[in-house]
Amino acid sequence: MRKWGTIAKHEYLYNIRRKEFLFVTFGVPLFILVAGGLPILLMGSTMSTEEYRIGYVDKTGLFEPANFTEYANEELAKKGILDSKITHFFVIPENYTATGRIEIFSTKRDFAGSRTIEDQIQGFLLGNLLKGEKGEIIERAKRPMNSEFFTLDEKGGTSREGISTILVPIAFAMLFMMSIFTSSNFLLQGVVEEKENRVMEILLSSVSYKDLLTGKVIGLGAVGLTQVLIWKSIGITLLLSNPIVAAVILDKINVSVPILVLASIYFISGYFVFASIMAGVGAIATTSREGQQMAGIFTITGAIPLIVSEYIIANPNAILSKALSFFPLTSPVSMILRLSITEVPLYEIIISILILVASTYFIIELSVRIFRASLLMYGKKPTISEVIKYVQKN
Amino acid sequence: MEHKVEILHASKSFNGQPVVSDISFDIAPGEVFGLIGPNGAGKTTIIRMLLDIIRQDSGVIRILGSSLSDGIKDRIGYLPEERGLYKRLSVIDTLNYLGALKNKPDKERALELLEKMGLSSHKDKKIGELSKGMQQKIQIIAAIIHDPEIIILDEPFSGLDPVNTKLVKDLIIELGKEGKTILISTHMMDQVERMCDRIFMINRGNGVLYGSVGEIKSGYGKNTIFLEFEGELKSIAGVRKTNLSGNYAELILKTGTDPQDILKAVVEMVKVNRFEISTPSLNEIFIQVVEGT
Repeated sequence: MRKWGTIAKHEYLYNIRRKEFLFVTFGVPLFILVAGGLPILLMGSTMSTEEYRIGYVDKTGLFEPANFTEYANEELAKKGILDSKITHFFVIPENYTATGRIEIFSTKRDFAGSRTIEDQIQGFLLGNLLKGEKGEIIERAKRPMNSEFFTLDEKGGTSREGISTILVPIAFAMLFMMSIFTSSNFLLQGVVEEKENRVMEILLSSVSYKDLLTGKVIGLGAVGLTQVLIWKSIGITLLLSNPIVAAVILDKINVSVPILVLASIYFISGYFVFASIMAGVGAIATTSREGQQMAGIFTITGAIPLIVSEYIIANPNAILSKALSFFPLTSPVSMILRLSITEVPLYEIIISILILVASTYFIIELSVRIFRASLLMYGKKPTISEVIKYVQKN
Repeated sequence: MEHKVEILHASKSFNGQPVVSDISFDIAPGEVFGLIGPNGAGKTTIIRMLLDIIRQDSGVIRILGSSLSDGIKDRIGYLPEERGLYKRLSVIDTLNYLGALKNKPDKERALELLEKMGLSSHKDKKIGELSKGMQQKIQIIAAIIHDPEIIILDEPFSGLDPVNTKLVKDLIIELGKEGKTILISTHMMDQVERMCDRIFMINRGNGVLYGSVGEIKSGYGKNTIFLEFEGELKSIAGVRKTNLSGNYAELILKTGTDPQDILKAVVEMVKVNRFEISTPSLNEIFIQVVEGT
């Protein structure tokens, strides 16, 4: 095995067994689950134990009871609630057909249940109003529209638009940013720690600076990717375990295979641009906190396409959109956004990928020099002019 | 036969401050070579330049006949002055990893060396659980795990108790007998006096002495008396300088003084346990060189 491979393997295995890694990787989803799931669970328990029994007072004489209880007047309905025969009742006033006004009464404040009550009453009202129509029509009247937008191009061809098309790039962007934020921590810590624990000199007596840094970027980068992958799997498992949500998502998602392939390429190559930057930042920084502050500048730059995503979606071929899809820090997210909205010429894709790969190489090369320069000054942060001086000299 | 290590007119300065100025020496195959001088003299900088961890501003450095490449790094073992290992890695994993980085992971040799250093019962412990001295021995093992031709040891005895110091000394002597080329850098000059074939003495970045230990010493003549005694030692006529440490003293004589006269004077003053006429110690020679006397 090449020496950077040995280092990458060591870094991966060493860091993946860290308590911090296990804690964050499995603790964060657990926390989200508990924090997000507990209220729903509590809500669900109150809903399921209590069944809604609904009564009504009809002053128009238009409605038939179906599965609701009819009362002659409000006084009797109130008595029904107090005797616990019903949980809710509503009043249909004489001018209902003109105003649509419905007054609902109950003894408890129940925000979670109000939606269900409304749905049930609405169904009751619609059923009565459309008496004589077929069941299908009634159902349609309840949900009259299930819409989707299409865009016409110059040749008259159509392409899908709306949420379904930007769902994929937005999901891509979120995942990408998340990966960068989490991995940048690993890389910064990994490089700064190496300087602190003094193993560096032994390593450098065996391998070159470049092998050391390349191995670290790959090994620690893989640690970050593993974490994101675990989170993603947990997320997908949870989503798919809920059949209703899964059906909605599968229905909305429409992705072409080429976009998925390109998304993976952009993800990996874009990821390693950031990873190598983090290694370089780690080389300059003397503490990981200091490194994180410096790294923030780069991660915020990476978030620019998300901030201006509306503009890119509206103008996928504007100069700014194109420029963002070439600049290595912003190109992965911008390009995937553009690709899912418009046709991007093949040469633009190739150029932007080449820029990504070349910048990873270039940044590692630069980081190696900075690393070398900063190692000369144990515990002292090199000034920018010193860094430039050393980079030029080597 | 060609030199294993060759340094020609190497200089290095940090921020305009010269740390090493125009140093030249070479190490022959199978030689145990001492790079000695006080703290901050530039020893570690020389070693780091040798290993291309930092690069010299001028001059030529050759190891095994060429400049340093990955292939040559595999043939060198190095114990850095600044010790450090991965605290959460086990002893045996550490040795395997560092061996793999030299393209020679060798578990059997690792176990053998652990046995020799009296550490085999600790092989599965995490580095962080070991004492400083044990960690240091692990690092010495790491430096020789891949059976290198050249072994560079920066301050190998610092932090070791007398038993372990002897253990490490014996190991170095054994490696020397096996024909390894060994460079020992230390400020404890007396520690290496009997071990090294030749030395290079450095002070404030400048080479001050270079040659075989015997030659250097004989150049200073047999003008020194090592004395072990009980009692109180007062000034003695004919002695130019007294280096006193407890019940032990190193007396440097004025030229023309007869050691027999000194013996007579000393016997009257204290109870003598040892009286040896010798060449001065490297320590004393160093002090003389630096003070220009």
